[in-house]
Amino acid sequence: MNLTRRDFIELAIVTGAYLATNPVSALAKMSLSDLLAFRETGNVTLLFTTDLHAHLRPHYFSEPINLVVPKNLRGLPGTVTGEEFLRMYKIAPGTLEAYFMSCVDFPKLARKFGKMGGAPHITWLVKKIISERGRDKVLLLDGGDTWVTTAVGTFTDGKAVVDWMKLTGYDVMVGHWEFTLGKEKVLKRIKELQSAGCEFISQNIREVDEFGFEGDLVFKPYAIKEVGGARLGIIGNSFPFTPIANPKQFVEGWSFGIREDTLQEYVNELKEKHKVDAVILLSHDGLLLDIALAKKVSGIDIIISGHTHDVVPKAYKVPGTNTIVVIAGSHGKFLGRLDLDVKNGRIRDLSYKLYPIASNLIPADPEAQKLVDSYWSELDKKLGLSKELCTTEVMLYKRDTFFSTWDWLVGEAINDYYGGELDVVTSPGYRWGTVVLPGEKVTVDHVYAYTAITYPNVYVLRRTGKQLKTVWEDVADNVFNPDPFYQQGGDMSRLWNVEYEIEVNGPPYNRLRNITIGGKPLKPDKEYLVAVYGGPPPPPDTLEPGYKPVPVYEILINYLKKKESVKPRTEPNVKVLDAPYKPYDACYGGGS
Amino acid sequence: MKRREFIKLTALTALGVFLGSGALRSASAKITLEEALKKHLGVGLSQIKESDKVKIKAPSIAESGANVPIQVSADVPVEQVESLHIFVDKNPNPFIASVDFSPMNGEVFFATRIKMGATSPVRAILKLKDGTYLMASKEVKVTVGGCG
Repeated sequence: MNLTRRDFIELAIVTGAYLATNPVSALAKMSLSDLLAFRETGNVTLLFTTDLHAHLRPHYFSEPINLVVPKNLRGLPGTVTGEEFLRMYKIAPGTLEAYFMSCVDFPKLARKFGKMGGAPHITWLVKKIISERGRDKVLLLDGGDTWVTTAVGTFTDGKAVVDWMKLTGYDVMVGHWEFTLGKEKVLKRIKELQSAGCEFISQNIREVDEFGFEGDLVFKPYAIKEVGGARLGIIGNSFPFTPIANPKQFVEGWSFGIREDTLQEYVNELKEKHKVDAVILLSHDGLLLDIALAKKVSGIDIIISGHTHDVVPKAYKVPGTNTIVVIAGSHGKFLGRLDLDVKNGRIRDLSYKLYPIASNLIPADPEAQKLVDSYWSELDKKLGLSKELCTTEVMLYKRDTFFSTWDWLVGEAINDYYGGELDVVTSPGYRWGTVVLPGEKVTVDHVYAYTAITYPNVYVLRRTGKQLKTVWEDVADNVFNPDPFYQQGGDMSRLWNVEYEIEVNGPPYNRLRNITIGGKPLKPDKEYLVAVYGGPPPPPDTLEPGYKPVPVYEILINYLKKKESVKPRTEPNVKVLDAPYKPYDACYGGGS
Repeated sequence: MKRREFIKLTALTALGVFLGSGALRSASAKITLEEALKKHLGVGLSQIKESDKVKIKAPSIAESGANVPIQVSADVPVEQVESLHIFVDKNPNPFIASVDFSPMNGEVFFATRIKMGATSPVRAILKLKDGTYLMASKEVKVTVGGCG
C-alpha cells in the first residue's frame, strides 16, 4: 500500500518527542513542519548523508533486530536495537521516528507510514535548508557507499547517482563500494564531481608499487572550506579495508588502511599551518572504529561517520575526549544536520538532528525527480526492473548479525540452480539491501537491490570441514574482535544449510561450536560442495569442474520467476551462547 | 613517505642487515618464538622488557600477508643501541631480520616489508650496548577477508 501525501497527513501520527514530553498531544497530527522542526544555531550548517547504496527511489529498509558485539562494546551507539534503542533515545513506539530508527513492528508501521528515502526528497530538503540558512553557511557532505549496489547505481557505473549528487550540490565525499567500479571508472566519476565543485578526499589511500613501496597520496587528504565566516578543515578517510573486504583487483596499486599516524599529522597541520577553526573527519571507517579512533587521535572536533549504517539520533561525545561523533544511518533514510557556532577555533554551541526522509511527507525536488525517473525508465525498459516475480509470505530483509530471510532464500535458490547437490551456500555479510514486506511482490529491482555488485558470480568449490571452519572463524574474528581496529567484517557470513552455536566473546579463532551441515556434525576431513559469492574470487584452479560460475542475480530472478510465492525460514540457524539474540518475531511478526 | 626517501633512509640507517626466512627465503622446519629468540639473541622472552620507547608501526589488518609494511623507531640515543631484531610469533620461523646500528645512523629507524603466514604479534626488539633488551609489539591480523 502506498499512501498519498494527503492520506499520510490525515493519519493521526505522533512524533516520539511529543509523546515523551506530553502525552496529551498524542493525538496531534504529524505535519511537514513538525518533521522539519530544528533549533537553528551558530554560523555553520553541516548537512550529511552516507551509505545511500544508490537507492535513488523510496523503498523500505528496517534497522536490524540484532547488532551483536563483544561485551566490552555493548551499550555504545550502534550496538543497541529494537525496544532498547527506543528506550535509550526516549522515542515512543509506533511513531514515525520509531519506524525509521528501529525494527519494532516494522511491517505494520511500513503500511502506515509508507516508503523511506528517495534522492529527490533529500534534494528538496537540502534546498529548503540552504534557502533558509544561505548557501555560504552550508556544507553538504557524503560518507560514501553511495554510487552502486542497486540496478540503477551499478548498471550506470554510478553515473545516475553522481548526476544526482551534482544536481544536489554536494561539496565533499569519501568512498568504499565506489571503488568496486575499478580505478578507471571511479576516477572518471570523481572528475565529473569535481567539475561540479565536489571534492573527493582521502588521507588513507596511497599509491604502492609492485614491491610494496608506498608513494604519493592518490587523493587530496583534506579540504579547507570557508563556511559562515569560519574556516573548516575536513579530512577524509575512505573505507580502510577496501582491498581486503572487496576484490583487490579493483584497487591494484593503491594501499588503504586506517593510518591513524598520518591522520594525526593532518589534524595538526590543519590547526597549526592552516589555522582552521574546527577539524572534521568525514569517515567511512564504521562507528565503533571511529569512536576508538577519537581516543587515539587528538584534536578532531567532529567525526561524521559512515559504513556501519547506524542510526544515532543524539550526538555522541566520546568519553575522555573533545570529539563528537555523528552518523546518519543508511539507504537514503536520513539527512543529518549539525549546526555549529564556531568562532576563533572554538565550537561554542551545536544543534543536531537526523531528518527522517519520509517520502510521503517531504516533497520531491522536481528537477531531481526528472533525473531519477529518466534513469529509471531507461533501465526498466532494458532490464525489466518493475517486473513482479512472485509474492513473499514473510518479510524479506538482509540486515542482521547472523541470519536473514533473504540470505536463506538465496541459499535455496542457488542450491536449486545447481541441482540440489550443494552442502553449503555462503552469502556475504553485507549490511545493505532493501526490505520486501510480507504479502508484497518481489520485483527484479528488489533482487538487484540485494545483489547488484560488479563481481556477482557464484562459484562452486570443494572444501574440507576443517577448511570451512577455519574460514568461518576468520570471519567471526573480523566481526567480533573486541578491538574495533581489528574488526574488518560486515555482519557474519550467512551459511545456508549450516547450523552452529557461537560464543562471541570466546577465544579468537575458536568461537564456533557444534557445527552441523545438513543436520549432521561437521567432519573435519570430509569434503563438502560449497557455493560462494560476493567475496574475493577464488583461484580458477580451485573451482569444481562442471559447475559454471553464474551471476547470483540471474539465478535469483529465474528461481523466483518459477514460484508463485516464497516463504523462507524465519528461525535463525545460529544460537548465540553468550549474548542476547532476538528472533524474527521480536520485530517482524505482525503486519502480514 | 616517498619511496626515494625510504630507500635513502634504509640505506643510511642499517649498517648491516641480516634477513630471515620471513623476509626472504621460504620457511624451513617450524620453530617456536622462544627457540628463535634463544638462537638469535641468546635470551628468552621473559628476559626482554616491553618498553614504550620502542615504536612499531604496522597495519592492524594486513592487505596481504605476503607483504606487510612495518616501521620501527625508538626514543633511545643511537649510541646506546647495538642492534634491532624483528620476530613474528606465528611464522614457521619467527625470525625476520637483524639490523646493526652505529652512531653514524643518527637515529634508530628501520622500515621493511615482511611475510606473515597468520595473525600474529610482530615484535621489534632492541639490544642495547649495556646488554639489556627493549621490546615493542603489535598484533597484525592476516585474514581471508570478504564481506563489505
